[in-house]
Amino acid sequence: MFDALRISASGMAAERLRMDVIAENLSNASTTQGANGLPYQRKEVVLREATPQGAESGLGGVEVAAIVPDPSPPRRVYDPGHPDADTQGYVLLPNVSPIVEMVDLITASRAYEANVTAMNAAKQMFLRSFDILR
Amino acid sequence: MELFDLTQTALERALEGAALRQRILSSNIANANTPGFRRLDVDFHGALASALERDSSPSELRELTFSAEPDASGPTRADGSNVDIEREMAALAENSLEYQGIISVMRARLRMLEAAITGRA
Repeated sequence: MFDALRISASGMAAERLRMDVIAENLSNASTTQGANGLPYQRKEVVLREATPQGAESGLGGVEVAAIVPDPSPPRRVYDPGHPDADTQGYVLLPNVSPIVEMVDLITASRAYEANVTAMNAAKQMFLRSFDILR
Repeated sequence: MELFDLTQTALERALEGAALRQRILSSNIANANTPGFRRLDVDFHGALASALERDSSPSELRELTFSAEPDASGPTRADGSNVDIEREMAALAENSLEYQGIISVMRARLRMLEAAITGRA
């Protein structure tokens, strides 16, 4: 009976993880020296439907399948004064676009709110059903 | 009015149907951004209505099963998901109100029975 709460909680957790990844992308938007010496590579979150153990199929909620690096190439910007500029004066900057990240952030935050509303609606229903005997 | 007549059974099954629909809608909303996800829904109104039209007995009503069906209506986005968040939220509100309405009717019936049993209104 409390599956609805668990399903909405999984949605909230998934969207919160998306927001964490977006925050990391934004904070590293100009990082030229990433973990392996290359410019920072944008990360993306892959979501998939969660299959519950033993419950009806299709009612498991959502889970994060993986956090994968975005394979698109880094941006080449002409900036000869930059410490990491190559011999021709070009710097490789991360493939993070603030516009794309902000749109994803808005989507994730609205989805989080929708899941909160669903959880509140379920909670209200359960509380009301106790009223039968009042 | 009997204690466990057709109306009581129909109300109970409707309540179960609404609770199942609540879980299904929550699952649709949680998967709003999952690529390739197909929304589900359950038509417990239709199942109950046709059972009552066939003059089913209370035990037949109890045997009725509600199943979550994939819903292919509505546009599919580029990422393969056909979950429309506005539709889901509207269905959620409607389902919550229905559930509360069924609860109110059940309470009213219990009050009537109580009045009959205790002799006090």
